[in-house]
Amino acid sequence: MALTDALDEMVTARELTPTIAMRILLEFDRCIVKELELLKQKTTFGAHLHTYRFCDNVWTFILENVKFKATNYSGIVEEIHADKVKVVACDSKILERK
Amino acid sequence: MAIGDATARTNPPNDDGAAPLPIVATENATETTDGGIDRSVHPSGIVPTLQNIVATVNLDCKLDLKTIAFHARNVEYNPKVCRAVGGKEIVKTDAFLHHSFHQTFRCALLNKQRFAAAIMRIRNPKTTALIFASGKMVCTGAKTEALAREAARKYAKVIIKLGFPAQFKDFKIQNMVGSCDVKFPIRLEGLAWSHGHFAQYEPELFPGLIYRMQMPKIVLLIFVSGKIVLTGGKRREDIYQAFENIYPVLTEFKKLQLESDEGDAGGGAAGAPKALPAPSAKRGRKPKA
Repeated sequence: MALTDALDEMVTARELTPTIAMRILLEFDRCIVKELELLKQKTTFGAHLHTYRFCDNVWTFILENVKFKATNYSGIVEEIHADKVKVVACDSKILERK
Repeated sequence: MAIGDATARTNPPNDDGAAPLPIVATENATETTDGGIDRSVHPSGIVPTLQNIVATVNLDCKLDLKTIAFHARNVEYNPKVCRAVGGKEIVKTDAFLHHSFHQTFRCALLNKQRFAAAIMRIRNPKTTALIFASGKMVCTGAKTEALAREAARKYAKVIIKLGFPAQFKDFKIQNMVGSCDVKFPIRLEGLAWSHGHFAQYEPELFPGLIYRMQMPKIVLLIFVSGKIVLTGGKRREDIYQAFENIYPVLTEFKKLQLESDEGDAGGGAAGAPKALPAPSAKRGRKPKA
């Protein structure tokens, strides 16, 4: 989010062209996906689905009463609770196809 | 319904001498009344429950499905979907994807499968609507005619709230699905044999017997278990009539029980024709002979 804000600012200030900004975002996506694939740690979460939307291959979920369960490196299960969570997700194969 | 069966079930499973009691039990099973059933409409004493109603309505205005997808809740709209590549999904932050220039890149995605309608759901009445750009809408999943109309109205209201001049024209119920349980097993082979003109039974393709009734024009799926699905009706009465039409046929082809449960004498009382003895009946009698 911070990256997009920063890029947006730079684009409006004409320090960057939109093409370059897009390219940066694309690269960012690619790196994140790469790192996520390397990640061994697993997190699960359960929640009540309040709203969903699927448009242009992007899922948007608004979840209520979310319980995250994560095992940290020392093997201890941590639980995090959140009242509301918004999830935006898309197909990870998008980048591969490009 | 339940009373007759209950008496039959509570009986200890006896092999030979159980003839008189099961007869009573089966007679009860076909004649029990549950409270408010109108016997003039439902002589069988069983009322099929409506499970699904499909209705269409014309909102009579062109719709921009993209606007609907972006502003309404619980909508799926992907005229250019690539569902074939399922599996992993990566999670990104919100602003990231909703960003203006990012959108152009997303729109350029590959397209494999497309469905032209927006799919919207509401929780009460629990239904799904397919909304087309032409303004036509299909509402499915309601359990009664009134609920189908109520749901369709709610969808129309959502669309009006998004700023479309939607109307509510030509609401029509297109299909109704009902189901019920006659609570006795049925010899589908026998039924298929004697009603060959209407019945289609291919156990290798589908375990149920497909019965295409002509009057009323209803399709029935009949299962060995005695569970019946009735579909293709536009009116509740058609579903009911179709069931009342088929019920005597079903009792005729009631499967004779193995000696353990109700006893074969009970099954015989239901009037299975002697010309077509059930395979199970043969199996049931063999040990005694």
